[in-house]
Amino acid sequence: MANPTTAVLYAPGTNCHEETAVAIEAAGGRAQLVLLRDLLQGKARLGDFQAAVIPGGFSYGDHLGAGRIFAAMLVARLRDQLVEFLESRKPLLGVCNGFQVLAESGILPARTLGNRSLALLENQSAHFEDRKVRLHVSATPCMWTEGLAGEFLEMPSAHGEGRAFACPAESLADSHVVFRYAAGQTPTIHYPENPSGSPAGIAGITDQTGLVLGLMPHPERAALPVHYSQDGLKLFRNLVRFLHPG
Amino acid sequence: MPVHTVYTLSRDDAEARHWLEVLRRHCASLSGVVIERVYWLEGDIDVGKLTSLLVNPLYQTASSQSRLDPAHGPIVEIAYRPAVTDPETPSLLTASRAVGESRLEFARLSKRYQLAGVSEAEAHRLAARFLYNPVVERIREPGEAVTTLRPSGTPSPVTRISFEGLDDNRLAELSQSRSWYAPLSQLRVIQTHERQIGRPHTDAEIEILVQSWSDHCYHTTWKGLGLLKRLAEATSRIAHPLVVSAFQDNAGGMEFYEDWVVTIKGETHNFPSSIAPFGGVATKHGGVIRDTLGFGRGAYPIGGTTIMGTLDPRLPDEQVPKGVLPPQFIVSEAVRATAYYNNPMGIPMMHSLYRIHPGYAKCLALGHSIGLVPRAHALKERPQPGDLALLIGGETGRDGIHGATASSVGMSGQTLEKDAAAVQIGHPITQRKFTTAIPVLRDAGCIRSITDLGAGGISCAAGEMAAETGIWLDLDRVPLKDRSLTAWEILLSESQERMLLVIPQEKLAEAETILDSYEVDHATIGRFTDTRRFEAVWRGEKVVDLEMEFLWGACPIEPAEIAPPGVESSAQAAPRAVAIPEPRTAHEWAAAFHRVLGHYHCADQSAAAVRFDTTVQGRTVIGPYGGRHHRMPTNFYASAPLRGRKYGLVTTVAYNPFYAEAVPDGPSAMARLMMIEAITKAVVAGVDYRDLVLCDNFYTPRIRPEVAYQLKRMVETIADFSVEIGVPFISGKDSSSGTLETDGLTIDVPFTLVVAAMGRVPDVGRLVTKEFKRAGSKILLVGHIDSHALGGSVYADSYGQRQGRLADAYDATSIRALWDALRRLHRDGIYLSGSAIAEGGLALRLFESCLGSGFGVYLDLPLLGGERRDGMLFGEFVGSVLLEVPADVEIAPALDAIPYRVLGEVTPVPQLVLADGDHELWSSPIAELAEIWSRTFREVLE
Repeated sequence: MANPTTAVLYAPGTNCHEETAVAIEAAGGRAQLVLLRDLLQGKARLGDFQAAVIPGGFSYGDHLGAGRIFAAMLVARLRDQLVEFLESRKPLLGVCNGFQVLAESGILPARTLGNRSLALLENQSAHFEDRKVRLHVSATPCMWTEGLAGEFLEMPSAHGEGRAFACPAESLADSHVVFRYAAGQTPTIHYPENPSGSPAGIAGITDQTGLVLGLMPHPERAALPVHYSQDGLKLFRNLVRFLHPG
Repeated sequence: MPVHTVYTLSRDDAEARHWLEVLRRHCASLSGVVIERVYWLEGDIDVGKLTSLLVNPLYQTASSQSRLDPAHGPIVEIAYRPAVTDPETPSLLTASRAVGESRLEFARLSKRYQLAGVSEAEAHRLAARFLYNPVVERIREPGEAVTTLRPSGTPSPVTRISFEGLDDNRLAELSQSRSWYAPLSQLRVIQTHERQIGRPHTDAEIEILVQSWSDHCYHTTWKGLGLLKRLAEATSRIAHPLVVSAFQDNAGGMEFYEDWVVTIKGETHNFPSSIAPFGGVATKHGGVIRDTLGFGRGAYPIGGTTIMGTLDPRLPDEQVPKGVLPPQFIVSEAVRATAYYNNPMGIPMMHSLYRIHPGYAKCLALGHSIGLVPRAHALKERPQPGDLALLIGGETGRDGIHGATASSVGMSGQTLEKDAAAVQIGHPITQRKFTTAIPVLRDAGCIRSITDLGAGGISCAAGEMAAETGIWLDLDRVPLKDRSLTAWEILLSESQERMLLVIPQEKLAEAETILDSYEVDHATIGRFTDTRRFEAVWRGEKVVDLEMEFLWGACPIEPAEIAPPGVESSAQAAPRAVAIPEPRTAHEWAAAFHRVLGHYHCADQSAAAVRFDTTVQGRTVIGPYGGRHHRMPTNFYASAPLRGRKYGLVTTVAYNPFYAEAVPDGPSAMARLMMIEAITKAVVAGVDYRDLVLCDNFYTPRIRPEVAYQLKRMVETIADFSVEIGVPFISGKDSSSGTLETDGLTIDVPFTLVVAAMGRVPDVGRLVTKEFKRAGSKILLVGHIDSHALGGSVYADSYGQRQGRLADAYDATSIRALWDALRRLHRDGIYLSGSAIAEGGLALRLFESCLGSGFGVYLDLPLLGGERRDGMLFGEFVGSVLLEVPADVEIAPALDAIPYRVLGEVTPVPQLVLADGDHELWSSPIAELAEIWSRTFREVLE
């Protein structure tokens, strides 16, 4: 693959697609904005891309539930393409609303398309929280955090529904958790360092392959020299390394 | 079609928990809140197919009957009024098709609140106070029959209304009964016109005329005062090289770098926000963002503000004037609305500011929008005959009819119910869609011109765009929410989230393809002509046929009567000194600091600010909060608009509702001080004042001769001052309807001018923030001080006093000298941190700079000089600045003759120490002060 390209999928209401593409390119990758509608109408195919990101925003206004309509479309209309994409071991990242889409579609944590076992519930404060957070990277194997285990990453977080809730609770075993909100050196459940009140400080989750990652904070907003932190770029650098082995 | 109902419950409902916590404070017996959400679905559908959309089985359940057991407590069901569309409806229709149910025709929502532990009457009282607003919502009665969900009915026919033979009384009665709110002089002009054209006008024509001639659209008040062109003339006299567009478009434009232009616009939405704050504030943001989208051939919004002035939210309900919503409700609803609209729009919040004054019975609700557009698209082209009028966005409904005229008149105690139709709920998703599409259309060359549909709807937008050409509209092509709208309602509807585009014929197909791909609804509703007439047909009938010359040239402007304030006011001519005992003991100093830091205007307002996204778009460099733990207000916002470039855009705002009443000439002094404050905030951060432009927003009482006098003084003062300092205003807006009449009381807003400054810097990395940078640095106050000038200060207000000498020390020459000195100091990297003095004086800045750094400060009071020590600490010396300079650096040479004094030093211990020589007067840990500072506003929102 001469020039592996990452699809940045966007739908009506998505509002972080541009900066997500910018961050991928800042890491040395190649990104292309792809309308969900073009996938639904067959004008674009997931298979033509080597990785995909579902960025943040309020897809379809977050109506009925954050990420739910986007997810329903993936499950009802793009199931075959998604299964093929996942089975060919292509990386998939969901940020904020994208994470909500991955949970609502059943892709996270267990790749059970159409069968939900993780939800991102309304923040404990019952409102949107715009915060700068500190994330602890766990040792869970994950392509996106390769070589970062034990590190702390600083990046912005901005959402109203980010409190992880799994049923059955075991489905969210430690082996899936990649990021935890941290206060100082320790993961925390306390507000506001953990802005949603997410249990065990959970901020990001991977699947059994370590290729799919969902996280609530925004790595693309901490990726450029003008940003207060460039820690988010590390995730995209890992993607680029994965797509360009050797 | 059958109407199905689906009742859903959540096992984990943060919203219900939130309401339990809030309502319990007002009703101790409340023991539980359950919220059941109800979907009303019309169509021959298989409900089962939609269940997985409506609920997530992990935490939600669905049923066809309510699961709430009435035995557990009274139930109040709340829904939007029939004419108000639920935001979720279009998404639900789209989603149901996607999951294979295409027979869903319409959907509505309601919420059932069950309040346990309270009586039926108490439940209704709580609901009325907190859970719904009768202007836009209603209580659904149990067992209400539902046959269809769609607003239905047949439109009234167009009528012809003859003014022939009507005397002034009859004209006034007619105007009143039709809610035209038109002055008699306009009605007489229309009467004469009827004679000239030899036929009675249609209702649609009269509606168009009075609406186009309303103060909101035609600025009759400012024209009557001879003020409308005053600022524009000042700006053209300055001939600033960076000004691209001033006072001629929906926003003002300033040259940025590399052939990009940045735009600014501020818009108030005071009347709707006073009677229905959630809808009013949401649509305020929607409207001002569309001004950005409607700049040139379409700018992209990259930042915004929200600024509110209300009564004190801590006022007990019984002290709130009749006909006014409780201010605590207004503020919390306003915060909720800003989050509801701005976050989904994906626009970073640059500044959020909440202020109070006993005059804001009719609140101030202001928002700015900042945009970015390629220089090549910064100017509109004139529509050409044959060009098409393309309406994009939401459907047209009965919302906001007469909004333009209603917003132009005062508000009365009865307004709450009477003008309900002028209020609506914004749908950010609809606007987000065309916000994505517009730059694509623009860059494809599809847009000749573009404008938003706000006040006055299609009538105003089409009338203005086609003023030089003419337009022919086919009203049957306008997509309607409600089939029962008649012609004039279609023309005047202020349904939000719509824009009107001028599209060259040959570009229509391409434009339609682009709009379809972003799922933006569109309709070609007419074409531009060369007739210089406003023509419209509806149902086979020509319902409007007006000469543009009459529409835009015949509005009578009545010169406003202007009179200086009377004897009563001039009795205050010699300003009294504030009567406040100077603190002496440690205890008194503590109390003084606590008063100021805990004052509503100085207090930590992050409880609101954290609900607004400040980093979306990935352009933010310095947000509204910074420093250690991101808790310190930065007082400016900086972004890097061009991806991969270090060019910076900096914005600041200045808004003070107290200064205007400090002295008899307060309004104009305040106006000038707001300019100085906004500019100095940017200059101390490192922006050259020659790279700044300004935006003005006036809010003044209803025009009477003395009000007109003050307003005129304000406008002339800032126009002249802008010329003297060479910093131009490039856009602005005025509202002269800040008067409430209720119960025999007349409540005027304070003379208000909000000034926003927008500037550019070549390297955003060189901006200087406020937090102290190192222990051992010297702290300097640079500029003039006056320890007796406590008039209008927060400190004086905390003693219930506002009159007294204003700290108003600068003229154009001296302030420019100071700004020039700061520019040199910044260029040479002399100061490590800096901040501009404003409300809360030196004291607030010292505290915040410590909070943001983890350091402390040692202040030697005798070094401050001045007669009153509290005046030195709490005086608001607008224009002067606080700087931190390394201990070994001498700044006197760079300052030339500008006065300055060293006040003390930065210490490693996070403690504020006031000393008198070797004697410590008072000290306090920063954390203790932070607790007081952060409490005030948090308590208001909780």
